[in-house]
Amino acid sequence: MTLRSLVATLALLVLAASPAHAAGTGSACHVPEAGHEGKVDIITPHITNGDHVEIPYWKFPFFLECTLPKWQPIHVGPLEIDLSPTKHVVMLWIGAALLFLVMLLVRRAHARAVTRGGVPTGGANAIEAMILYIRNEVILPNVGHHGEGFVPYLLTAFFMILTLNLLGLVPFGSTATGNISVTATLAILTFLTVEIAGIRANGVGYLNTIFYWNNELPAPMRPLMFLIMSPVEMIGKLTKPFALAIRLFANMTAGHIVVLALMGLIFEFGNLISGAPLVMATLIMVLELFVAFLQAFIFTLLSSVFIGQIREAHH
Amino acid sequence: MRAPLSALVLLAAAATPALASSEAEAAAKPGLLDPHLGLMTWTIIVFVLLMIGLKTFAFGPILEAVSGREQAIRDAIAAAERDRAEAAKLIAEQKAAIEAARGEAQRYIAEGRATAEQMRNELLEQARKQQAEMIDNAHKSIEAEKAKAIAELRREAVDLALAGAGKLIGQKLDAAADRQLVEQYLTSLGGK
Repeated sequence: MTLRSLVATLALLVLAASPAHAAGTGSACHVPEAGHEGKVDIITPHITNGDHVEIPYWKFPFFLECTLPKWQPIHVGPLEIDLSPTKHVVMLWIGAALLFLVMLLVRRAHARAVTRGGVPTGGANAIEAMILYIRNEVILPNVGHHGEGFVPYLLTAFFMILTLNLLGLVPFGSTATGNISVTATLAILTFLTVEIAGIRANGVGYLNTIFYWNNELPAPMRPLMFLIMSPVEMIGKLTKPFALAIRLFANMTAGHIVVLALMGLIFEFGNLISGAPLVMATLIMVLELFVAFLQAFIFTLLSSVFIGQIREAHH
Repeated sequence: MRAPLSALVLLAAAATPALASSEAEAAAKPGLLDPHLGLMTWTIIVFVLLMIGLKTFAFGPILEAVSGREQAIRDAIAAAERDRAEAAKLIAEQKAAIEAARGEAQRYIAEGRATAEQMRNELLEQARKQQAEMIDNAHKSIEAEKAKAIAELRREAVDLALAGAGKLIGQKLDAAADRQLVEQYLTSLGGK
């Protein structure tokens, strides 16, 4: 498969996944009915998941609400999993497709530059610098020796979180990483990676990271400390991914709430001074841009640190 | 007993629809912290596919190219270092050669100077010796000439004296014995 056809396939995939396609096939998209009386909660629908997406529209109010299809839930054992696309699922698709496309373009620019015997310029170079920075300064020093195997996972985590964070700042976009299910899943993936890395690095010694048994203590103290410290070890193990999930979720949600609350001030006061929140909201938006990068970075950094810690555990 | 029980049943009956309606409300308006299994599944699917895709089509080739480039740069640096060492060695050799040449030149000059000095001294010495010899010779010849002249003069004087004395006494004096006499006299004069 050549790169060109791959890119074309991807573009088709993006189109298929985009709500615009849904608009073409059915009557799922409609102009949202106006005229709500009284106060409306604009914040909760924005930051929570939903069964419809908003797409740009050329007439007032400049967006259409597209209801997403509802699929039969599938049953896995006792679990009932509803795989029908929701707003955040669609954002996941778009984010993944966009990221994959960008990376393919970078790779093509890279290949071209290499055959020319040079270095890629512009965006490709910027992405390459990010990849190299994350790999050489964040992942490899923290994961420890022979950490190459963890690079794909951590790099993917970084770029996927970054893309989803940034998509949340785009008009009509929504922050999938502001959904606790997404961040929890990513944290669970990190948790699994960490534990598997621990088992592979320590073998039977991995049990020491769950059960506390210190041979340097006097013999009668060992069972006592075992009883006291083992729960601490286990809680410590579970706290790390929990903190990862909550940190990302809360950071992504909080920024949007602040921006929307500032926007809400305009409607609350409705006079000339109400221009002020616009400035503040813009500045918060700039901060959000920074936070989008920061949180992706932190997630990757902490995942690397956790992997490094458990691999060093037997020392 | 009956009254409270019926009240409880009533309460439960009353509570059920309320609960159901609140559940419906919750379903319609998802809460911030509700886990959503479908979304979690989708996250895993999308993430794993993305990871495989990116690893195969993006990170792998890019990192490979980068490491190739790093290798090329490392090689270039090593080559440059090697060349520099080579150049430094050559320069050192060159410098040593120049230094040697200069030392040799210096030595030649010094040698030449010494030779010239020696030659001059020798010539001077020779000249002086020659001069001394010539003077000496001159002295000697003068001395010889002088002695010869004196002898000549003396003989002449003897002859004259003898002739004068012979004339004076009118007789010819015995040549050999008189001569001896006069010469003795002269010698005694010369001895004074």
